[in-house]
Amino acid sequence: MTSAEIQQEQDSPQQFSFTGTGSEYFGIWIVNILLSIVTLGIYSAWAKVRRNRYFYSNTHVAQGSFEYHGNAIAILKGRILAVAFFILYNMAVRSSPRYLGIMLLVMAVFMPWLVWKSIQFKLHNSSYRGVRFGFRGSAGQAYFNFLLLPIVTLFTIYLLAPFTHQRIKKFQHTESRYGASYFSFDGKVGDFYLAYLIGFGALFAGLIAIGVVLGGGFMAFIAQAKNNQPNPAAISGFFLLIFAVYIWMFAIFPLFLTLIQNLIWNHTQLGNNHFRSNLKWGKMTFIFITNIIGVICTLGLFAPFAHVRLLKYRIESMTLIPGGSVDDFVAVEEQQVTATGEGVADVFDFDLSL
Amino acid sequence: MINARYFDGKTSRLHQVQFRVDDGTAYVTGDMSRVVPLRDLQISDRMRHAPRRITFPDGAYLECSDQGELDALFSASGVTDTLVVRLQRNWRGVALAATLIVGIVVLSYLYLLPWSATMIARNLPAGVEASIGDGALEFLDKNFFSPSKLPLERQRNIQASFTELSATHNSELPIALVFRSSKIGANAFALPSRQIVLTDELVNLLNNNDELMAVLGHELGHIEEHHFTRRIIQSSAIAAGTALLFGDVSNVIAGVPTVLLDLKYSRDTESDADAFAVHLLIKNGMSPDNLAQVFEKLSRQQKGVEPVPYLSRHPLTQERLSNIRKFALAPDAH
Repeated sequence: MTSAEIQQEQDSPQQFSFTGTGSEYFGIWIVNILLSIVTLGIYSAWAKVRRNRYFYSNTHVAQGSFEYHGNAIAILKGRILAVAFFILYNMAVRSSPRYLGIMLLVMAVFMPWLVWKSIQFKLHNSSYRGVRFGFRGSAGQAYFNFLLLPIVTLFTIYLLAPFTHQRIKKFQHTESRYGASYFSFDGKVGDFYLAYLIGFGALFAGLIAIGVVLGGGFMAFIAQAKNNQPNPAAISGFFLLIFAVYIWMFAIFPLFLTLIQNLIWNHTQLGNNHFRSNLKWGKMTFIFITNIIGVICTLGLFAPFAHVRLLKYRIESMTLIPGGSVDDFVAVEEQQVTATGEGVADVFDFDLSL
Repeated sequence: MINARYFDGKTSRLHQVQFRVDDGTAYVTGDMSRVVPLRDLQISDRMRHAPRRITFPDGAYLECSDQGELDALFSASGVTDTLVVRLQRNWRGVALAATLIVGIVVLSYLYLLPWSATMIARNLPAGVEASIGDGALEFLDKNFFSPSKLPLERQRNIQASFTELSATHNSELPIALVFRSSKIGANAFALPSRQIVLTDELVNLLNNNDELMAVLGHELGHIEEHHFTRRIIQSSAIAAGTALLFGDVSNVIAGVPTVLLDLKYSRDTESDADAFAVHLLIKNGMSPDNLAQVFEKLSRQQKGVEPVPYLSRHPLTQERLSNIRKFALAPDAH
């Protein structure tokens, strides 16, 4: 191929591809777990690096792939600190209501900082075609978006949730950069409200349907509990109801994920380059539910396969629509981001992809 | 000569190059020219499908999809996979790892975790467990209990018998008996604040001092063997463990095994408390059959469906009854 032909090929829509497989990842996952157990958790930092390097290196678009640069020692230091805190938190919460209040307060104060650091480090440690990503957002903005807005949302009984979601995504995406170029985000608050409406609408419609069909069993269960006369039919009716509710919630979650991922990426740009996300709810739900069944039936051994399946679908539904040449991005001189903070944020491993 | 893609680490520009190694030196030719000793290059782990990445000291790198050619080149130049990578890619290694893990996890759940939780619980300073559940009695009084209707004489009687009973066991701190009347029916339970709550309904149901002592012995066992702290430690460990293993897939699935695994620990501590009660009764010259009679009276009272063994917090009544004989014969470890 001539350089010109390659150039032209590079300027047409580029679908993301993921070449990782469940069986290959299973090997990595199992050895990661074994070595982590044998080293009482110390190896887990290296395990995380291996895992991320595997997923990043297998993600490709436009003749380039991604790379993860996280440092295992930094991750380890932070994990030790964070695990100590986690144990303390768990013990306090289970022992006395008094401590719960204090712990919640501490978490509230630190959480936005952790989320902020987590975003910074994830981006700083990611690169595509050798050029690193970065994050410019300030701590103040982080506290506004990750603490203030959620608290306000709480007070409006979550009616403000879609608004807050949009603000958070806008903050994240507009302050993120690839090399010297910043992303932009034009998703509207209205779009988020629509997505939430559809999601919750479907959820309630289903719950009502379940209630109508299976509600009889529930009422019979209440009656027999009151009279202290166990009625096996009523008991099984009750469990069937609970089961149906769970299944429905499991089905709605992928619907919501689909709507949100599509919404967010269809409205994200990098300079003149656009993204398209084509997730289909039906396929997402199928993958989701079969994953859960698989993991339960194999007592967890299917987990790495499940992870790869879902990730592959989510990544390969994405397309990059170049608006100029993908060759034209320039790296930026990095000031070193503090390593220990990385490790601490890493333990809480916020998945902010929603 | 192998075809590769070159990226300079300063821009995202793709350069088409050719790569070869001669006598320990790597040569890049084409859109870019570079000469670097092979040992200065960082070579990524071999993966099934992902292109191999060869990184230069300055951050520039080559990406090559020609796995076969690269393998030949590297083995000729003495570049090998690390031990971990070889283990990951070898199905026998993976199967062995999987078996080892299952073995370790099962053994830890059954033996290691309860053992270490017990060690920790035993060595905590005396006041720590007492402070857990501070305020629990106030909460219960507000919502479930009313003052006891038992005649004071009866209460003092029971208290005296109990003091005598527990004197044969060296307790560090005193235990208080708390009498209440309750809509929850016949029940007795221990609080970590070293109090044992007895409902009037239970006292009237059993109507027999020795049987009451059997129940109190069981509750005393919970306190003296630090079951509260043990359970907290064990629950936390299980929660952390399942989150680690299954958290990737779903937070809800991670929760389900936690509950089931925890129920087993609950049954274990109930069983331990039974054993404690049996030994305490024998030490005081009372028959362990008293405990059996308590179970029989209680289960007659419930006259209901016995819960599924794996979903219940206590061992089945049948099992508890047969265990009493076993405990009576076993040496006293207290």
